[in-house]
Amino acid sequence: MLLEREGLLESLGQRLKDAVEGKGSLTLVGGEAGAGKTSLVRAFVDSLDESTLVIQGACDPLSTPRPLSPLHDFAADPHSGLAGLIGDDRAPMEMFEGVLDRLTRTIRPVVVIVEDIHWADDGTLDFLRFVGRRIENTKSIVVCTYRDDEVGPDHPLRSVLGQLIPLRSTDRLVVPPLTLAAVTKLASNYVFDPRELLRLTDGNPFFVTEILASGEGLPDSVQAAVISRVAQLDERPRRVVEGVSVAPRSVEIRHAAAIVGGTLADIDAALAAGVLIGDGHTIRFRHELARSAVEDSLPPARRLSLHLRMLGILEEEQDPDPARLAHHAIRAGRADLIVEYAPQAGDVAVRSGSRREAVAFYRAALDHAKELGADQASDVRVKLGAELRLLDEPEEAETELRLAIQHFRESGQIEALADTLGQLQGALWNLRRFDEGWRAMDEAIAILRPEGPSETLGMTLYRMAHHHMLSRHAGPAFTHIDEARQVAEEIDSEELDWLVLLMTGCINIVIGDTDEGIRLLQESVKRADAMKEPRLLAIGLGMLGSGAGEARRYAAAIPALERGIEQGLATDADYSVAYNRSWQARIALEQGRWDDAVGYADLVDRTTLQREGIAYITAMSALGRVRVRRGDPGGLPLLQQMTDLARDHELQHGWNAICGRAEYHWLARTSQPGLDELAPGYQRALDTDSEWARGEIGFWMWRLGSIDGPPQGAAEPFALQMSGKWEAAANLWREIECPYEVAMALADGPEKAKLEALAIFDSLDARPMADRLRRQLRDMGADSIPRGPTKKTLANPGGLTNRQLEVLRLVVEGLNNEQIADELYLSKKTVEHHVSAIYSKLGVDSRTQAVNAATEVGAVPK
Amino acid sequence: MPRYMVEREFPKGLEVPTTTQGQKAMLGVVRNNATEQVTWVQSFVTDDHTRTFCVYDGPSPEAIRRAAGLSDLPVNRISEISVLDPYFYVGAGA
Repeated sequence: MLLEREGLLESLGQRLKDAVEGKGSLTLVGGEAGAGKTSLVRAFVDSLDESTLVIQGACDPLSTPRPLSPLHDFAADPHSGLAGLIGDDRAPMEMFEGVLDRLTRTIRPVVVIVEDIHWADDGTLDFLRFVGRRIENTKSIVVCTYRDDEVGPDHPLRSVLGQLIPLRSTDRLVVPPLTLAAVTKLASNYVFDPRELLRLTDGNPFFVTEILASGEGLPDSVQAAVISRVAQLDERPRRVVEGVSVAPRSVEIRHAAAIVGGTLADIDAALAAGVLIGDGHTIRFRHELARSAVEDSLPPARRLSLHLRMLGILEEEQDPDPARLAHHAIRAGRADLIVEYAPQAGDVAVRSGSRREAVAFYRAALDHAKELGADQASDVRVKLGAELRLLDEPEEAETELRLAIQHFRESGQIEALADTLGQLQGALWNLRRFDEGWRAMDEAIAILRPEGPSETLGMTLYRMAHHHMLSRHAGPAFTHIDEARQVAEEIDSEELDWLVLLMTGCINIVIGDTDEGIRLLQESVKRADAMKEPRLLAIGLGMLGSGAGEARRYAAAIPALERGIEQGLATDADYSVAYNRSWQARIALEQGRWDDAVGYADLVDRTTLQREGIAYITAMSALGRVRVRRGDPGGLPLLQQMTDLARDHELQHGWNAICGRAEYHWLARTSQPGLDELAPGYQRALDTDSEWARGEIGFWMWRLGSIDGPPQGAAEPFALQMSGKWEAAANLWREIECPYEVAMALADGPEKAKLEALAIFDSLDARPMADRLRRQLRDMGADSIPRGPTKKTLANPGGLTNRQLEVLRLVVEGLNNEQIADELYLSKKTVEHHVSAIYSKLGVDSRTQAVNAATEVGAVPK
Repeated sequence: MPRYMVEREFPKGLEVPTTTQGQKAMLGVVRNNATEQVTWVQSFVTDDHTRTFCVYDGPSPEAIRRAAGLSDLPVNRISEISVLDPYFYVGAGA
């Protein structure tokens, strides 16, 4: 009997109706254990007719959950059409896309049920995030149940909920406790006082029914109610119930009998008592609360032996799930079986992207390191170390990796030793112990060289080059990449060859050979495209976008960033999206598109969870600099905060914040505080080969009066200005398309140049510089100083962004989206996006109307 | 939410007629502000109507600027402010 759930059923029914009309959704059904979430979902499913396809899966209450367990459930149902798609050997993203495709390309609407997502493994959480973000455009609904009172602030589900709940297509339902009226109705045939029953159970339906069924006074907890009900069974059916309690899911009837040596009649008796329910083939507890209550009440020795028997039964099955085998082995306390199954279960978890679960399995195995044997234990430690690093636990990763290294060194396993030293370097890098990291890498290379060329040697050399590139030391970067190139040729490795190409491009940009650097990076993107390697493509686009961006080569940088974002959004590579967007913010700042810069920074702020990471620092530094240049409040504190966050990172991530602070203090004429951070940054810049860091940091050192002229190897426009050649600097800045810098250079010139600068500052809304210049001009006795901006003079017609204006002009020329995409080096999708934004800003809905409107608003000459 | 003083300059003078048209214009500003979660608290206008000092609550200076852009209002200076009351220190000092 389902009471007081009509409203919830109606909501679910409405969601399904919307889905049929093409508006899919994801519904989160919360409620405490026993609130009746599953009963609600069952009642909903039972109310559906043949025209709807239902696919169901659940997360397990195993001590360590089985990776992607709901997806395996989907696949096991032949009606789902997903059988061939889900498997431990498949990449998670491929499986997610397969399920989404099934939900999109369907004639019948699909209802996907995922139960108990508070137990979800990391892989399943990724799946929910992936599907939840895309469900709107399907004809399907996803319904997830979870215990909302068990999801605290640190619960892994929390961040997924945080990302899904703001979406328009996400709905939340809460299954409330029963009211007195409902409890009275349920208790009508019993002697209990309904008020007392309500007080004791807080209206929890499961608790209420358990008390009514046990019929014995009022127990003080739901567990006591369950135990008292089970205690009333005869011994043989009770044994069956106890046996089934060690299986976190349903058990096949023949297995249930085998576990306890019972008969079918015993099972029938257990079913008749209502503790267990069955579907003809399998039996299970009516509720997980009851199962865990019974399992917890078993005497330890009996529990161990039941788990061992369960394990024996599962081992007989075809393709048993290693996570479940490991669970029972751990519960049975059998070291020999744990070391057999836990590492396997860990490997499956790694492949499914379920990191916490992998760590738990590997740790369970290492609890019995002696039984595992030194070789296998070290192998497990290396895998554990990799996962710990990804989970941002570098200290623990270091401990495991060092133990493995010691063993590999003692047993002379060269390849494994070198590999693990490379991993150790990664952990040390996360711990900011850079020098120790270099030494580990040097050791790895020294060990590998005598062994001749190998993949490991090549990769180690590449990573060494990468780190020297990041710290902007071109010499050692070139030495290592040249050696890596030779290795790549000798072992004929396509991936290593690609990485060498990529890194050579990056290093060229660092030394200031920008044309060659960009050419090589563009080549690497083209090759990654041809190789159909999305992972490499993402790396290439990110390097091209940020590398060309740092060198202020915007025409090359912007399309790469846009494409990187598009690809990142399609694959849920959130970090890559945030990183590319943060560079869009920095470039928009430099190009004087400050509203755009603020918009990109806002997006990063709202979507990035890593609030100490490089993307966040880059985006917020751009926002802080916009505030300083506009004279808006809040710039300095933000830049101060970013300077602090960036202190442990490479210089390129912090230099914008420290220059922004210097700029603020220069504008406010309080030079000293600006120098505190700038001077050490300048020393770091001189220590690297980065011409743009030397240029910009040097420029502010010069402005604040700390140096007299340009440092060696400073980027040209900055160097020109520091040498007093303001006009040449302004011309160069104009070519680069940095209007604020153009005006900064002109401001160093005579009256006429200053007036020109003032017009630019006014058009940018750069009030502090405009005020400063007006004062100077007045002091010089200049006449006819313009009053100031009365309104935005340089705003684009129709409120379009520069990019949209560019696209609109090509639309007017009659190009279709594909041609525009080619022309601007954008993807067709991005162009479509721009075109629809242009339509909405111009208030039109066709190309012809857009062409007319473009002339009207003056976007193109009449 | 922080509070800001927004200074605006209207060289030709700001005229808001006390008619339905004026009312419509004011409500339009309020509506535009709402899209940026910005609240217009009150304004002070100079006698010649060329400058206004507007007290706003809003999430950031950028939101104030965006809201101004939607209503076509100039922004000459934004400062973050707090209330200073003449009697604030009464009883606090010696």
